[in-house]
Amino acid sequence: MARLTIESLRKSFASTVAVDDFSLDVADGELVCLLGPSGSGKSTILRMIGGFEQPTSGAIRIDGQDVSRLPPDRRPTGMVFQSHALWSHMNVFNNIAFGLKLRRLPRSEIRRKVEEALELVGLGGYGHRQTFQLSGGQQQRVALARSLVLEPKILLLDEPFASLDQHLRERLREEVRDIQQRLGITTLFVTHGQDEALAMADRIVVLRNGQCEQADAPDIIYRNPQTQFVAGFIGQMNFIAANVEGGTFRHPHVSIAVGVQDGPAVLAVRPEALGLAATDGEAGATVLRSTDFGSHIMVDVELADGTRLKAMTSPSIRWERGARARLVPAAYALYRDNRLVDSGRVEGRATTAASLDVVRVTV
Amino acid sequence: MADTATASATGGSEPAIGRGLKGLLLVALPVFLVGWLIIYPIIAAIVSTLFVEATDGVQFSTASYRFFFSDPYSRANLALTLWTTGVCAVLLLLVGLPIALYLRFSTSRFADLVQSLAIFPMFVPSIILSYALIRTIGPNGTVDILLNAVGLPKIPSPYLTPWGPVIGLVWDNLPLTVLMLTAGLAGISNSAVEAARDVGAGPIRVFWHIILPRMGNSILVTISFTVLGIFSSFTLPYVLGPASPEMMGPFMLRTFNDLYDPLNAKTQAVISFVFCLFFGIFYVWSIARNQRSQSR
Ligand SMILES: Nc1ncnc2c1ncn2[C@@H]1O[C@H](COP(=O)(O)OP(=O)(O)OP(=O)(O)O)[C@@H](O)[C@H]1O
Ligand SMILES: [Mg+2]
Repeated sequence: MARLTIESLRKSFASTVAVDDFSLDVADGELVCLLGPSGSGKSTILRMIGGFEQPTSGAIRIDGQDVSRLPPDRRPTGMVFQSHALWSHMNVFNNIAFGLKLRRLPRSEIRRKVEEALELVGLGGYGHRQTFQLSGGQQQRVALARSLVLEPKILLLDEPFASLDQHLRERLREEVRDIQQRLGITTLFVTHGQDEALAMADRIVVLRNGQCEQADAPDIIYRNPQTQFVAGFIGQMNFIAANVEGGTFRHPHVSIAVGVQDGPAVLAVRPEALGLAATDGEAGATVLRSTDFGSHIMVDVELADGTRLKAMTSPSIRWERGARARLVPAAYALYRDNRLVDSGRVEGRATTAASLDVVRVTV
Repeated sequence: MADTATASATGGSEPAIGRGLKGLLLVALPVFLVGWLIIYPIIAAIVSTLFVEATDGVQFSTASYRFFFSDPYSRANLALTLWTTGVCAVLLLLVGLPIALYLRFSTSRFADLVQSLAIFPMFVPSIILSYALIRTIGPNGTVDILLNAVGLPKIPSPYLTPWGPVIGLVWDNLPLTVLMLTAGLAGISNSAVEAARDVGAGPIRVFWHIILPRMGNSILVTISFTVLGIFSSFTLPYVLGPASPEMMGPFMLRTFNDLYDPLNAKTQAVISFVFCLFFGIFYVWSIARNQRSQSR
């Protein structure tokens, strides 16, 4: 039940700037995913909110109160670590009860709360177990229960499922999402997996070199990436670099009228928005490989300049290796110096001879 | 030797015999040395204190032990030795644990300096340390001179009091204590400590509830290890300690050398040995317990 405000947060270590002028506003009950490549500062941001790292400058406010100088034990935050960090000399019950005991709650209440927390993470009756008698996923859930039982205002999760297998991960992330929504805890979730972020988050923050590239709802991040980096980082994306001349993006294989000043630019097209049309002309791209995924076929093509692209086509047409294909983009985005400068749909403008065998798959 | 003979007699392929022989030869030397230089003298000493020559041949007698435990001076020496050992063990933990904690959890570059300072006493021979201590905290030593220079009274010097050896022994044993405690602390992960901070434990509670319970074994090992060395120490108590009562090390030497009384010197040695054996067994037991708990 809390609002988290981060204002131009900075953290520099001896040789690196890990977080650079990062600002974020997380609403009450919102789940925000921090996404970014390794070393982009995700953990550092989380550790500064939890109090394990001192910001070089900037402020962290929880419900308006500046907590950035408080030690971790006096912050209303709960953190679940990547390496669950259970205390091996205590059993499951005592691991969860430790924080309550520190708060000097009556015994009966501690017992009740711990059992509730265990029930919440689906481990009812596991209290007497030793931590080494649990599987990895169960340990991770105990770590989650240990944080939840204290009813933190802000829940911080740093790649909590990184060490688990795909199946367990998917199940746990649904459980976490469930619990988070039921309790309405404001949550910050760090992950490497964009699937995880797209599936769970109310909002995704894409980080790069300690800076925020874009912070938006998952569908906007996916459909409307504001920078070339985000476009390439989330989902699959084809990039074609060329020049804009006289209001047209000119490339030997694609020409699109765009509303941008002349100069170099990068055209971005999702595989599902890239159609292929058979052609005999030398101007066609060469098919390298086509992979059948059942519901669709992923065709890898190579342009004359060596650029490789992926096109998602309908399974009704087979593409042989070495065949020639014309590119038929249905929607595009145009970037210049990492910034979005234009985007739109192509309504048959670039494909003058839209023939019957053109396959367009749009989402 | 007899074993190797039977091994080759019972047969087996050539290389196996060769290997078995090599293995036996490898352990034979240390086993032989331990037997000859340690086990045999111990048994010989115990036997020679219990079977003494009387007028009518060799007789079993516990007279020397009865003398030791009835003689107030001998008892005082034993008590002083136990007192010194106990006080040193407590002081070593009190001084060593904070240093070890600092070394384990500090991230500043200053920690390297502290580490080398803490290890430094290991390279100083006890005899040099003894005289250095006399020059600093002895009568009219550096401390007295400094105090005098600012017009303060002299310190009551610990030199030639029971606190003399205590100070020397703590200084001498600190490196080993710190090293062993740091090794024990290495098993406690940063995230375990951070998780405890996260649920609301301040530094003291983290130490009490998270660090200490997992340190139990390494503290036991450290104590029994240092206590073994302190109990039978000689140089520091000899140079820094009082003349009477004295610790067991100097006591034995004086009984043997100055009083020409080998029987009582040997009795004192056996009694010291029994105490050390007790600490030794404690040490082995705590290591075994540690291994058991880790293998879980
Ligand atoms: N204690 C530290 N001392 C020095 N540099 C650090 C420290 N912690 C992190 N860094 C640096 O700060 C940058 C950001 O690190 P951080 O751990 O936040 O990355 P991350 O986004 O969590 O990466 P990953 O996805 O691999 O966990 C990295 O370049 C890292 O090397
Ligand atoms: Mg990280």
